[in-house]
Amino acid sequence: MTLALTLNALGLYGIAAVLAGAFAAQIILGELPCPLCMLQRIQFALLAVGPMLNLRHGARPSHYALSLLAACAGAAFATRQVLLHILPGDAGYGSALFGYHYYTWALVGFCLAIVLIATMMVFDRHFRDEPPAPGAFASVAVWLVIGLVVLNVVSTLLMCGFGACADDPVAYEMLKRR
Amino acid sequence: MEFTALFLAIAVTMIAAWRGSRPLALTLFGLTLAASVATYLHHATDALKLSF
Repeated sequence: MTLALTLNALGLYGIAAVLAGAFAAQIILGELPCPLCMLQRIQFALLAVGPMLNLRHGARPSHYALSLLAACAGAAFATRQVLLHILPGDAGYGSALFGYHYYTWALVGFCLAIVLIATMMVFDRHFRDEPPAPGAFASVAVWLVIGLVVLNVVSTLLMCGFGACADDPVAYEMLKRR
Repeated sequence: MEFTALFLAIAVTMIAAWRGSRPLALTLFGLTLAASVATYLHHATDALKLSF
């Protein structure tokens, strides 16, 4: 596997770490994600589609463009949530990690993703590479991300049921005793 | 419910990107991104309960 595709696989491991971290906070701390939080998770997951296409079909500018679109949308969503809690005295939503709330870290993460993707696109020689057969390192990264997205399908179904999700969820709707 | 559908759509998009055809993955990505932006706009137009 070339260096560029190895970096794409590493990017997938990074996205998996973000999704797993958010999921761990939900399970261990019992902090259920709000609608805006879930939209940011969704954009992190969409960010992974570009590297997956690069690893399977070879690196192309259009694949990086998909990830850039997802990162821009995610940055916009995270910015809105930061601005919702920017007034002095506002405690913010959920707990803080190293002094910043998760949505602030999400904004940092999306901006970092935009910079890293743009940097990858500067080195355009790798767009001429033939797509190699993906090895175990790439396959594990892909299935790890897909598995975490499926876990989120189950989690949101348990949390919201078949209706609209609560603005400030405190319990799993489908696990409540009738 | 809309978030369950969005996560499910992403899982299908990823499987299409990894195992299926590239045009199908690109189409599904576009639809999912548009749906997530529409969901955001729906929530962003909710009245905020401000108290000042």
